[in-house]
Amino acid sequence: MYQPWTVKYKPKSLKEVVGNKEAIQKLVDWIKSWDRGIPEKRAAFLYGPPGVGKTVTVEALANDFKMELIEKNASDYRTEEAVKRFAGLASQYGSLFGARRIILFDELDGLTGTADKGGVKAMIEVIQIAQCPIVLIANNAFDPRLTALRNLCLLIEFKKPSATEVLKHLKTICLKEGIDAEERALRFIAQRSEGDIRSAVTDLQAVAQGRRRLTYDDVSWLGFRDRQENIFTVLRMILYGKTCEGAKRAVNMADVDVDMLLEWIYENVPNHLTDPHDLARAMDALSMADVYRGRIQKTQDWGFIRYVIDLMTAGVAMARVNTKTSGWTPFHFPERIQTLSKSKEERGLQLEIGNKIKRKCHISATRAAKEVLPYLRIIFKNDVKMAAGIAKWLGLTPEMVEYIAENREKAAAINKLLGQS
Amino acid sequence: MSFEMWAEKYRPKTLDEMVNQKEIVERLKSFVKAKNVPHCIFAGPPGTGKTTAALCLARDLYGENYREYIMELNASDERGIDVVRETVKTFARVRAIGEIPFKIMILDEADNMTADAQQALRRTMERYTETCRFILCANYSGKIIEPIQSRCAPFRFTYLPREEHDKYLRYIAENEGVALLDEGLDAIYEVCGGDLRRAINTLQAAASLGKPIDAKIIYSIAGRANPADVRRMIETAMKGNFIEARKQLREMIQKYGVAGSDIIRQIHVEIFKLDIPEPWKIKLAEIVGEIDYRLVEGADEEIQLSALLARLIEAFLEMKTAAKKV
Repeated sequence: MYQPWTVKYKPKSLKEVVGNKEAIQKLVDWIKSWDRGIPEKRAAFLYGPPGVGKTVTVEALANDFKMELIEKNASDYRTEEAVKRFAGLASQYGSLFGARRIILFDELDGLTGTADKGGVKAMIEVIQIAQCPIVLIANNAFDPRLTALRNLCLLIEFKKPSATEVLKHLKTICLKEGIDAEERALRFIAQRSEGDIRSAVTDLQAVAQGRRRLTYDDVSWLGFRDRQENIFTVLRMILYGKTCEGAKRAVNMADVDVDMLLEWIYENVPNHLTDPHDLARAMDALSMADVYRGRIQKTQDWGFIRYVIDLMTAGVAMARVNTKTSGWTPFHFPERIQTLSKSKEERGLQLEIGNKIKRKCHISATRAAKEVLPYLRIIFKNDVKMAAGIAKWLGLTPEMVEYIAENREKAAAINKLLGQS
Repeated sequence: MSFEMWAEKYRPKTLDEMVNQKEIVERLKSFVKAKNVPHCIFAGPPGTGKTTAALCLARDLYGENYREYIMELNASDERGIDVVRETVKTFARVRAIGEIPFKIMILDEADNMTADAQQALRRTMERYTETCRFILCANYSGKIIEPIQSRCAPFRFTYLPREEHDKYLRYIAENEGVALLDEGLDAIYEVCGGDLRRAINTLQAAASLGKPIDAKIIYSIAGRANPADVRRMIETAMKGNFIEARKQLREMIQKYGVAGSDIIRQIHVEIFKLDIPEPWKIKLAEIVGEIDYRLVEGADEEIQLSALLARLIEAFLEMKTAAKKV
């Protein structure tokens, strides 16, 4: 009989759950606190990427504590009425003789606006009167639709288990299935999964079921499914590519544009090419790729993009001469993108300040923001009295003062002086 | 100390107060005397008194209520053709009431106007000459289309001579009760290169620190690559730590707004101060030169400078290996 290994080897007890020990402990402490009466937070909100074991943890928890698990997931309707029907169950902490209850709302990301109308509102009401523990699960707890809900809950983050933890789990399965697997092969699957245990186990079953032996060659093809790959797979093809063709092909699979991909590569190169010679070669390739970007800007001839791509992919891949491919190195989100998006929000305020300066200083708002603002920053950080005088003279709002001072206390002091005058 | 921007407080109010650009001021005074002003282009680098001259001219011409007779538009903010067609035209065509029959339109940073807008301006200038005179301020007169240039009297503003620059800043410092050391003054001139507005802003920001103003303070606030920061970054690279060195670079660029060309210039200076074998200094300089060239061609300063750091790290390593062999 075919049974998915993800079900067959699903942890029955919390002890067997892979990784996330801290999160699990936090959840257990909270469940135990119910023995001493209703805790401050009647619901726990488990969030984290797919396949890291959130649902499995709750199931194992119910098992360990001999509790009855009542679940609603994306396959159920979660309209206001449907959720309220649940309320009856939630209002009791389990009968005197029966098992105690946990109520689980899984896959909250799947809530839709129309089909699940009023669902969130109803859940909030249920939580407020709940007499038994309620657990919510979502990939993204910071979805704005969930804000009100989130604030009622004990937040518990589930992180991706390390490749080593995933590897251990894969080894256990192979042992039970009687498969003699090369460590390198399993590590490949583990790394490829990016901490998604479910996908790792699925991949393992796909390549190993019915075999006695599993070698690296049996699994290496897994990396080359020609579909829209996520950014990590694409980066791996580039940073660990053996051929120019392979590295270049990565660009077509990426679901980000060339500039963004270059940013990802640039951010991650130093962690993956640690040998100084390799690093210098890779950075040189990126530098030349950037030069071609400059040439595109100047000539507006987009044909040059092919050299940008050659250099940033194949150029980086071929830079690897001395650095060994070993272990599991995580990929980082480009730091510069984070600061860029932040400054986008600031740009509006900056221009408003620029306009204030313009009115007084006979210089354009754009130039004021660029040329005068930096000096104001220094003054506002150092001389509260002078800052207050200038703020009044320019007619700055308290918000603007705070933005310029970049320091709450200083801004408060300046605004206080402003208020007095 | 007074609590406004000093660059405004000490901006000359009348042509008599303008200490520099003597020939220009003389000619402008003759316009006042004749009570007639042609269309003008004031061209020259920033902080040399273009806007000030225009404002002083207006005040001398119209008296204290000069604001009623002029309009200041900033082409960097309002540079499109619509502005010329609406704002400029509306202002230009209405006759001024009073002794002087025309108003003055000051178009600041006019070299930032789009070509369309400049074309639209050309007819407006001609048609409403009776009621409005234009003063176009620009860094580069070359960016103003020829038909407009040919309708304007050109004035070329130059940087203040060093003595006048110093005199002016000393006067402000004294008036505000700020201790300005000679080395501080030198540093201001070096950093601002004769741009008086920048110089005064720098002086005021330096004064806010409440200490006698020396060179160190000036470098730290001028958004110039602080030699100490650059040295620290090179030292990090010498230890082979690329990620940390890149972090320091990123901080200089993002937090302090230092220009890449400025950082690389300072790296070049620092290399010759390093305690390394002499022949290596020239090898490093060549690496710096190559990246400096790419910096001009490329699109992203940080990527170029990071590449430089990686090359330096490699070179330092080779240098150490070579030293061991000897």
